[in-house]
Amino acid sequence: MLKLLERTHVRPESLAVLIGLAVVMAILSPVTGSGVRVFLTANNFFNIILASATFGILAIGATYVISAAGIDLSLGSVLGLASVSGAALVVTLEWPWYFAIIGSLGAGAAAGAVNGFIVTRGHVPAFIVTLGMLGVARGLALIISDGRGIYGLPPEILFLGQARPWGIPTPVFILIAVALVAHYILAHTPFGHHTLALGDNENSARATGINVRRQRMMLYTISGLMAGIAGLIFTARVNTGDPTAGLNYELLAITAAIIGGTNLFGGRGSILGTMIGALIMGVLQNGLNLMAVQAYYQQMAIGAVLIAAVWLDQIRTRGRSLQ
Amino acid sequence: MHKKLAAAAVATLIALPVHAETYGVLMKTLANPFWGAMELGVREGAEAAGVDYYLQAVESDQAAEPQLNVCNTMLERQPDAMITAAINSTILLPCLKRANEMGIPVVDLDGNLDHKIAADAGVEIAFSIGSDNVAAGGQGAEWLVSQLGADATGPVLVIEGLSGNITGQKRASGFADTLAELAPGLEVVASLPGDWDRGKAANITNDILTSHPDLVAIFAANDGMALGAVETVYAAGKGGDVIVIGVDGNSDAVKSIKAGRLNASVAQLPYLVGKQAVEMVKAGGDHEDWIFVPTMVLTKEILDAGTDPMLEYVK
Repeated sequence: MLKLLERTHVRPESLAVLIGLAVVMAILSPVTGSGVRVFLTANNFFNIILASATFGILAIGATYVISAAGIDLSLGSVLGLASVSGAALVVTLEWPWYFAIIGSLGAGAAAGAVNGFIVTRGHVPAFIVTLGMLGVARGLALIISDGRGIYGLPPEILFLGQARPWGIPTPVFILIAVALVAHYILAHTPFGHHTLALGDNENSARATGINVRRQRMMLYTISGLMAGIAGLIFTARVNTGDPTAGLNYELLAITAAIIGGTNLFGGRGSILGTMIGALIMGVLQNGLNLMAVQAYYQQMAIGAVLIAAVWLDQIRTRGRSLQ
Repeated sequence: MHKKLAAAAVATLIALPVHAETYGVLMKTLANPFWGAMELGVREGAEAAGVDYYLQAVESDQAAEPQLNVCNTMLERQPDAMITAAINSTILLPCLKRANEMGIPVVDLDGNLDHKIAADAGVEIAFSIGSDNVAAGGQGAEWLVSQLGADATGPVLVIEGLSGNITGQKRASGFADTLAELAPGLEVVASLPGDWDRGKAANITNDILTSHPDLVAIFAANDGMALGAVETVYAAGKGGDVIVIGVDGNSDAVKSIKAGRLNASVAQLPYLVGKQAVEMVKAGGDHEDWIFVPTMVLTKEILDAGTDPMLEYVK
């Protein structure tokens, strides 16, 4: 088991924390009319994944960028930009429904490409470029929407956020599909190996013939694309292109990636680990909601889990290297 | 050369003719239809009262320190009154104290200042004007009871605003208190902060629909969160079974109500707040500490009929 986790770069501590939290929430959650713990119902299981879908997809983007020793602070703002871009095309301009998808994904990928271009061509640190984009994208979203929500998407788009084929919310399918593809690419393709090699040591990556510039450019574009997908799901869920959507979500996304085992300084990253990180945060929020706990504690709990997961990981790896 | 230019500039400034009364109006942000409507009210109020004003705002309703900086610069123009919508109850106090010292009266727009805290800091507020958030929540509860009846029973969810934000707390507690009084059978089973975030409100709604599948109503402390909640109710296949009520009466909410999705929104009338604030400053005299501008419940019937005279103020 530990070997499997090691191969997929999942922190064993993270899995332990997820299971531990789930047990605690199951015990503490209220009981339904039929005598089942609410937390353990199938419906609630999907609720957790549904609630984690938007920042989970952002976290996939964050994992790619961070495991190549980069950072993307603009994820949440680009989500908001993507949300209003798609909605503006089909609601304000009354174009056909699929332009919401093209608009959201296109705006996300374009913002990511701009980040990548300036990082690679301008040699400006990614922290600064994406911090700048955090402001630019949010401002642009407010300008496009005139500061107000763009309400009333066509049914085809609402399907992506609100439908429940076979009783399972559509965003759950989208999250799982995106995560599986992203996992396969990162773990099993040359592109993924180059990403991790680049994060491990840029100079040796270049020496082995990796086109570092192109690789980075693509990573930031993928990150933006993920924000575009998350923005589309957000729009569809709430039937509104919302310029304030995704405020501070970049921090949730980075937290999920780090809890899941991604090394903040690059060289290590796993999409499956990131999904566990996102689920930990989803379980915390869901459990506290079910117990109707006044949720001042949620942020505190997530912060504590972040520190604990990395600390336990340090203890384990250090212990092993001393043996 | 530079000195000459500067001297000329100063001379021009001094030589400017004395204008009508001029008010400094400081808002939170204009990137929000609520403040846009209030700005319109200020403009038309100033026209009606024959006064001038200059209006400034900051980039977001979280930009507290920048707002203090703007406030300080606005005082340099020595307005006849400062009408401010403070981002929180303390940030502008140093600036407003200076305004008092300069003999400029201070008006609290939208009720963001606390008279006691302000008095302790040596700031005298001429009056506060805005919606009564406790009463707005209460109106939501009254309307709910008018739909379900006083002997109705069942679980109710309350979605609060940002954790620790006084406006959201007032609306939520106003709703819960009035509901407990009018229909004790309707039980608030959870009151959780949605942080003004549609997505978060959607998640909370999902969770509570799971723990209480027989949920009868949801009250959200603003329209954005109410819209997140109502879309989630429909996605869960319970559209029409759960009554959803928001607060604000913004344009998205009006569209959703007309489309038959959102059941009601307790509309604030920011246009009227802005207009009355300017007119009352101009009129002068002593005022109560608090001037409450009424709120109204918007429903499909009221919007479709379009005859309510108050609708004129819904911008």
